[in-house]
Amino acid sequence: MSTTRRHTMLAATAATGALVLSACGGGTGANQADGGSSGGDKATTITLMAAEYSKDNTKAFWDSFAKEYKSKYGYTLNVNVVSWDNIDQQSSTMIQNNQPPDILNLNAYASYAKDGLLYSADDVLPSEAKSDILPTFVKYGTYDGKFYGFPDLSSARALFYNTDLFGKAGISAPPKTWAELEADAQKIKATGNVGYAMPLGPEEAQGEFSMWLFNNGGDWKTDGTWAINSDKNVETLTFMKKLASEGVTQGNPARTNRADAFDLFKSGKAGMVVGFSPLAGDLDKDGTVKYAVAPFPSNDGSESKTFGVTDYLMAFKKKGNQDAVKAFYELYYSKDQINTFIEKEGFLPVTTSGLEYFQKDDKLKVYLDTLPNARLTPTDDPTWDKIKLAVQQNLGAAITGDPKAVLDKLQQTAESEG
Amino acid sequence: MTTTGDVRAPSARSTPGGPRPRRRSTGVGRVRGAVALLWLAPAIALIIGVVLFPAVMLFRASRSEYSITGLYKGGAGWDNYAKVLSYPDLPVVLKNTVVWVVAVVAITIVLSLALAQLLVKDFPGRRFVRWAVIVPWAASLVITSQLFVLLYDSNYGLVNHVLQGLHLIDQPISFLGDDRFTMASMVVVGVFVSLPFTIFVFIAGLNAIPDDVMEAAEVDGASPWQRWRQITFPLLRPAMLIATVLNTIYVFNSFPIIYTLNDRNPGFTHDTLITFMYKLAFKSQEKDVGMSAATGIINVVIILLVVLVYLKVVNWREETSR
Repeated sequence: MSTTRRHTMLAATAATGALVLSACGGGTGANQADGGSSGGDKATTITLMAAEYSKDNTKAFWDSFAKEYKSKYGYTLNVNVVSWDNIDQQSSTMIQNNQPPDILNLNAYASYAKDGLLYSADDVLPSEAKSDILPTFVKYGTYDGKFYGFPDLSSARALFYNTDLFGKAGISAPPKTWAELEADAQKIKATGNVGYAMPLGPEEAQGEFSMWLFNNGGDWKTDGTWAINSDKNVETLTFMKKLASEGVTQGNPARTNRADAFDLFKSGKAGMVVGFSPLAGDLDKDGTVKYAVAPFPSNDGSESKTFGVTDYLMAFKKKGNQDAVKAFYELYYSKDQINTFIEKEGFLPVTTSGLEYFQKDDKLKVYLDTLPNARLTPTDDPTWDKIKLAVQQNLGAAITGDPKAVLDKLQQTAESEG
Repeated sequence: MTTTGDVRAPSARSTPGGPRPRRRSTGVGRVRGAVALLWLAPAIALIIGVVLFPAVMLFRASRSEYSITGLYKGGAGWDNYAKVLSYPDLPVVLKNTVVWVVAVVAITIVLSLALAQLLVKDFPGRRFVRWAVIVPWAASLVITSQLFVLLYDSNYGLVNHVLQGLHLIDQPISFLGDDRFTMASMVVVGVFVSLPFTIFVFIAGLNAIPDDVMEAAEVDGASPWQRWRQITFPLLRPAMLIATVLNTIYVFNSFPIIYTLNDRNPGFTHDTLITFMYKLAFKSQEKDVGMSAATGIINVVIILLVVLVYLKVVNWREETSR
């Protein structure tokens, strides 16, 4: 009798333990990610956490990529596609639990490199791939002398304008200077529409502001030191505020996200907006708005500079995964794979061979010509990862407040972090 | 709330069957400690796994230092708490939280009382209306919030369309972007999704009022207002108590409405403690899991204090023992 009871007790304890364990493990779902590497020294399975660029294409591409990867190298790739809204949280949670993915696709990398979590190009990037990547992206992907931020795709911005509204307002050519842009916006406003859609909401305020400040000869950093509150930048933000207070933008630019501004342009109610190739894709699909694309005007009419953006595929140092990760990059940077991905998603190439490949598309010419000289935000500085967030949350305050004070505060934040 | 009520010593009130002293004799209902544990094990495991373990982890996180990437960098003592409590935007956030909770709960209770009175009356189609009331409750909060974002939109939102059509306003109002309207617009949504639950609590409360009391009052010549004020309202107090306490907790912890409707507003001007906590971890320049966890702990303490004070004020012991 007593033995039976002891067994019952044991079973109960075991059941309790199992429940507790499963409750604890359920949170991350990352436990099995390590399964491959714990078997021996070499990992046979690696995990990719990829950002979702589009519902239709991203998952489909990575799934077929995984198949090719398996058949070519014999490694298994667990594909985990996560929406942009959640990817920061999920990756951060995984790192907290000491279970990072092997490859992470994100819009920042420098903080990860600074924390010593990443492989550099010397460890995992095949040399042919490295030499193919455009020098601009190598430059912005390099932290502390080593190349960590491998670009997956890029985009460059340009001025989109509604040709119907331009016609209605009697404007024959896109603006070349800021004064022309202001005058054109006034004319479009007179037709009862929004002259220039200006998104300074938290989604991507740094993108809109970058486009403007680069075209006024300003920058976030000059010669390695932060220059957020430089005279040029204050002038830029003051001009943007002026546009808003003249009412030639949509109401509340500080509370308009990029997606909202795009929606406004897609509905034919806005004359101008800073857009990129995926917006062109959407507009072509809808086919209701007649538009054209031009370089963004500069303040004084000098040659336009474009703001470029790239996202990264970074590799986390984990025991035994180096070979599998190297194979991953070898496959990704092969022309078939990377160009297919970029073409499907409607973005721009990051490699020299990609530039050649995409020359066939006339529509992309306006971006491709500017891409090698595109200016990026200082993604190679870990401080930028914080400044970017500070800009997103605070830049809009300049529209109702004092532009200089806003920029001074950002500069202060940058200096105290750096 | 009833579970909290039962915590007090069983001898303090006479339950049917009387207080049950611990019995050592054999018989029905006798359970050995070990066997009792066996039966309780799944429940205990669940409490440990789902309540205690995360709470302990949260507390640990609140006393740790994390890099912006989420990498654990070591202990932080009480630094995170100090940083949160001295955060420049905290006063605004606290004020928003109070306005949000008080406004939503108060308006919900008043409206629900009226609507519940209506829904206990017999009228054709009552069944249908009662079902319809459940809908906002059944729908996902995120979807409901997103729907309101579309309704409120200043460029193509239905609300502005109607208001302009009626010539009540000339220019469209930016309900979610204009500081004067943002909180009020969010409160409307908060009330909308809190109504169903509250209405049904009151319907249950109204149904529990015995008819004979009402009849007696009627015979005694009480006016309808007197009957409501002297009989219905006092007898509804337990339901009121439950509705208030549960709504306060739900509304305080409500994340999707504020997060979705306040999405495009920069800074913390319209955030409550819950969205403040989220932004600290993922959106603000701090991007600090430790500070966010500290805020989480502070939130739990605040809501416990608020509920305790409320229960003290309304004298819940008296109410629940009726």
